[in-house]
Amino acid sequence: MDLSAKWKELKVSWQPRIKEWKFMLKRIRESPLALIGIAIIIGFVIIACLAPVLAPPQAGWDPFMLRPDKDLAILTPDPTPPTTRHIFGTTAEKFDIYYGCIWGTINAFRVGLIVVAIALVIGVVLGTVAAYYGGLIDEILMRFTDIIIALPGLVLAMALVIAFPTTIPLNITLIILVVSAVLSIYFAAFKPQRKYLLPNQIILLISLFLYLTNPIVIGLNMSKLDKVLISLAIVGWPGYARLIRGEVLRVKNEDYVEAAKASGCSDLRIIIKHILPNTVYPLLIVVTLDIGSIVLTAAALSFLGIGADPNFADWGNIISMSRTWISSPELLVRHYYTFLIPGIFISLFVLGWNLLGDALRDILDPMIRRR
Amino acid sequence: MTEDSLVAVKNLVVKFYTYAGVVEALDGVNLKIRPGEILGLVGETGCGKSVTSFSILQLVPPPGRIEEGEIYLNVGGKTLDIRSLPKDAIRQIRGKDIAMIFQEPRAYLNPVYTVETQIGEALLTHRKNEFLQKAIEALEKAGKKSSFEKRVYERMLKKPKSLVTKIMAKFCRKKTLMKEVHKEVVELLRSVEIADPERVAKMYPFELSGGMAQRAVIAMALSCQPLMLIADEPTTNLDVTVQAQILNLVRELRKTFKSSILYITHDLGVIAELCDRVAVMYAGNVVESADVYELFEAPLHPYTKALLESIPKPGEEFKSIPGTVPSLINPPKGCRFHDRCQYEMDVCRKIKPEFIEVKKDHFVACHLYGGSK
Amino acid sequence: MSSIITIRNLKKHYPIFGGVFKRRVASVKAVDGVSLNIFKGETFGLVGESGCGKTTLGKTILRLLKPDAGNIFFDVPESIINEVIELERTNPKSKRLKLLRSQYDIATFSGERLLRLRRRMQIVYQDPTTSLDPRMLVKDIVAEPLVAQGIAKGEEARKLVVDILKKVGLGEQHLYRFPHEFSGGQRQRIAIARALVCRPEFVVLDEPTSSVDVSVRAQLLNLFKDLQKELNLTYMFISHDLSIVECISDRVAIMYLGKINELAPTYKIFKNPMHPYSQALIASVPIPDPKKRKERAPLTGEVPSPVNPPAGCRFHPRCPLVMDVCRKEEPQLFEVEKDHYVACFAVAKR
Repeated sequence: MDLSAKWKELKVSWQPRIKEWKFMLKRIRESPLALIGIAIIIGFVIIACLAPVLAPPQAGWDPFMLRPDKDLAILTPDPTPPTTRHIFGTTAEKFDIYYGCIWGTINAFRVGLIVVAIALVIGVVLGTVAAYYGGLIDEILMRFTDIIIALPGLVLAMALVIAFPTTIPLNITLIILVVSAVLSIYFAAFKPQRKYLLPNQIILLISLFLYLTNPIVIGLNMSKLDKVLISLAIVGWPGYARLIRGEVLRVKNEDYVEAAKASGCSDLRIIIKHILPNTVYPLLIVVTLDIGSIVLTAAALSFLGIGADPNFADWGNIISMSRTWISSPELLVRHYYTFLIPGIFISLFVLGWNLLGDALRDILDPMIRRR
Repeated sequence: MTEDSLVAVKNLVVKFYTYAGVVEALDGVNLKIRPGEILGLVGETGCGKSVTSFSILQLVPPPGRIEEGEIYLNVGGKTLDIRSLPKDAIRQIRGKDIAMIFQEPRAYLNPVYTVETQIGEALLTHRKNEFLQKAIEALEKAGKKSSFEKRVYERMLKKPKSLVTKIMAKFCRKKTLMKEVHKEVVELLRSVEIADPERVAKMYPFELSGGMAQRAVIAMALSCQPLMLIADEPTTNLDVTVQAQILNLVRELRKTFKSSILYITHDLGVIAELCDRVAVMYAGNVVESADVYELFEAPLHPYTKALLESIPKPGEEFKSIPGTVPSLINPPKGCRFHDRCQYEMDVCRKIKPEFIEVKKDHFVACHLYGGSK
Repeated sequence: MSSIITIRNLKKHYPIFGGVFKRRVASVKAVDGVSLNIFKGETFGLVGESGCGKTTLGKTILRLLKPDAGNIFFDVPESIINEVIELERTNPKSKRLKLLRSQYDIATFSGERLLRLRRRMQIVYQDPTTSLDPRMLVKDIVAEPLVAQGIAKGEEARKLVVDILKKVGLGEQHLYRFPHEFSGGQRQRIAIARALVCRPEFVVLDEPTSSVDVSVRAQLLNLFKDLQKELNLTYMFISHDLSIVECISDRVAIMYLGKINELAPTYKIFKNPMHPYSQALIASVPIPDPKKRKERAPLTGEVPSPVNPPAGCRFHPRCPLVMDVCRKEEPQLFEVEKDHYVACFAVAKR
């Protein structure tokens, strides 16, 4: 087929999916709450993209770190109220709140999306494997999940953040050794793909040799923010695992999965091409709601002082810095800008994602039913 | 036309206002059910059989609306125009004068209540006073002439709507009343040929097999001795042997209860087995209505003829009707069957044929028999 | 005629777990000792009421389920089958038997060999709405067997897909659509196309017309007949609708509670059913002729649960010809007249 026919073919093949998207967009347009949610999030995205323009960082400094305004430091020890130079005022350490809020937006997106991504990957893989294979694997994985769910989330997150070592020594050779050993047992015992066995054995021998003589160890440096991200991901994945397990159990027994088996599909192919696309919708809804709540939890951790570095441009961090300056009602009112403004940012962010999640739920439900 | 019938439907038009457009589900349906007869309503999926039955009970779900037409019910010597009745009056008719049973019995039974509770609910809704009287008599016979229970029952009979009665009833355990209802439920279950009705009464719907659940639903429908029973494909999901049992049961019950039955199905065999008269529907119209023997011997409408010919016979090719059922969102003008009809004439494309009596008690809507005014 | 499928004493039980430790407390004996063979090129009808195990039997023959006992031979020469039968009778522990079974008996297959088998036998499900993945385009659905088994991909697969779609009455314009955009009859055609795209020899049709409108049924049944001639297919037509089975099958087997009661060519079994259950079943079918109305229901009672089937002959609690021996022993299929097999003591006595 020549190029122009191929291009036409491609366009035709995308048409039905485009029709579905158009239908979904129409439903979104009809729901005012969804539009508000999307508007809020788009607003934050714009702020995040234009951060270098809206709040230009000082040359030479890491833009994510707050820099104290030395001129004001001499004058007063308390936070200074909003002026023309500092639109939202400054904290007691003379960090510009406006700067912190703008760059905090990027941070919020980073925290929300990365944590959700990691938790999603772990949760989906474990939940799908547990549900698809059932039996003992299901029992073991689910009990493990239950243990993590049983521990209160915030407490567990705090404990993990504190307990995480700053440098994790990763013995690469050991990892490769263990993985290739497991794979060789798998290939030998169940003999599915013979062609992978030989290269795997070669890797096994090489890594064994290296481990004994000269193991390669890499020290992974984790910044405080990374620790927070991973801890939140560890706290978050069981929820997704449970959710997708329920969906996979429902889809597993559908006729088209059995038909795929009858057509000769391997388990992996069935999971990726049939089960996952049909189970992922409820997950999308929970994910959008979670992005907001994860940012809130990260802010709580920062407020408690366990989060990112003290100079970090993060909403929760700024609020935590205001802790000592709002001890009485009078001080509360006088230093309103130290917590109110970052608080508004957090609230709006979470609200935007929540509205989007609710709207998605209303939209996707009839779409699923329409099928 | 309405005098000798129990229920008469005239020129019923029902439309559904959906996102995709206006579905003209019923386009002038004419039906007549005489007292004590079994009328079979046959047609393919989507022809409007269920909508017709829902319309009789004013149960058409939104976005559906009854636009035109009249539905008459002859009860107690009076002719009621169902469409003009207030909501309360319709609720009185539903279940008592006209009862309905559906295709999947277990989907229409509440899964968290036992069979006994549900049939009891139907009984108490429509025959409450009868059971109150029976309970009072039972208490008197047992010697408890002045018990609290008896006083509550007597009050419920005399002043059912007063607040004092309601409060007293809340505090009373009503054991005797429930016992009377239970006795009646067991009798009903026995009359629908359920073996061991005592045990079945205490079962939950998911514990029943398809045949038993359908019998229980029939018992519930007949509990208030309705004048007419609407049966919407009740045996389609059942095995063939169970279907034969249920059809037999329906025949027997018709003799005992003398109700009319509107039996909806797409199976011509069941129609031949059970019905006295048949109405054939296609795409929202009744195209032919006749006595069952006459319909099978000498069908008049081309659609009926094609349906009878498409019954599979061994050794021959499977015959089907060419074309497909038209979409009811933009139905064809004129006769809705014209694009699949082998006798299609010019007039069929333009003018809709009228539903007229061609032979005695044999109605057809077709231009071949002079369906145009 | 040569048999393409021979099954002997096939059993499939579903375990029921109960109790605190989820032990196997009972099992649903869905298929409990079925033996039959299907000849090449014929349409074999399998009828029975719900719960009799016909769908389970169809799926077990295709190895979508693993049988608990019995042999399944697919396209194996008769001499070898006879040898296996002989060895099982005389020397069940012999090495030769084990070798033969691992080579020819597909009940023992797994992994790669099972995958290669999939190409030669396929299934069409009852409900086309649930048997097609709602999120895949028609092109991908029909091409899946080719891609999954490595037969063809890309451009070549597309050609094969278009080819088979044309054969089932659809066209190239239907490639890029979702299943929910089609009517029930068209969806079933897509399912048929998917089953036939890798040119199997044996197709199990599991009630393919039950979920489809009455008006479309005849079209689909004619399509099955045409495709059988064109592609040299052998069908196993599972249905509870006796009138359709009568018109499309060459031979018919009637199942009850996991066992076959009667097996005969179609015209023989419908003209002269011998087993009391077959007689009652065929008599229960409503005839579209009001002059031939029945006076009473031919069969009373309900089908017992397959968890605890009655001892001896499964049908004895409801049988009008029940004798003492029926309560104790299970009757086997034996040939009453040529090609007509019945499993009933009362019939055997005559």
